[in-house]
Amino acid sequence: MLLFRSEEHIDRWCKSWNVPRGATLSPRQTWKLAYAWYSPDRRDPQWRRRTVDETEELLASLGLTGPFWNLR
Amino acid sequence: MSSGEEQDRGVRVWVYDRTMATGRPPTVHELAQHLDLPAAAVADSLERLASGRALVLQRESREVLMAGPFSAVPTPFAVHANDRLYYGNCIWDALGIPAMLRADARIDGSCGCCGESMRLALTAGELGAVDGVVHFALPARRWWDDIVYN
Repeated sequence: MLLFRSEEHIDRWCKSWNVPRGATLSPRQTWKLAYAWYSPDRRDPQWRRRTVDETEELLASLGLTGPFWNLR
Repeated sequence: MSSGEEQDRGVRVWVYDRTMATGRPPTVHELAQHLDLPAAAVADSLERLASGRALVLQRESREVLMAGPFSAVPTPFAVHANDRLYYGNCIWDALGIPAMLRADARIDGSCGCCGESMRLALTAGELGAVDGVVHFALPARRWWDDIVYN
């Protein structure tokens, strides 16, 4: 996941690397996602990876739904 | 819990403890010394943790490469927090570092297209004003197809 100055810079990058355009989030949306994803303390011995259901629930709670964000 | 699972848990906890405290994950040798385990046992634990997607290992040395959100090697996502320098694996992970540390941070990034400097600041859990857009190239179900690329 990369940060770009603008949508135009994403288009240029996709063209130069010949990759299809994916999804975009604002830095603020990405911060919310990062906070939700990474705030559980992984030094906690009880920590475990989220299940697919839990991950989809987390993404949906941030409004990240639809084919791009589906995990299966 | 089996002794293998308990050992894996100890390895994972200390990988994160050291990475958060110092900015880089411990080596197999350091893990073995701290946990009083043979290096081969630590290496086995790391392989199991990598299989379970709790860590990502370097392809040849099999040392830790990624203890998400942290990168063991320098990347274009430099995060300054707690008077230390950390590296994120991508912009999402760079933002995940202050989330995990629960600390203010400055992220010195750059545009993925042109390389222009882009700085982000996290203060008291709030992201300061910043222009820009984050691009997720792969859909969520493919994030682990090649996590190093992604």
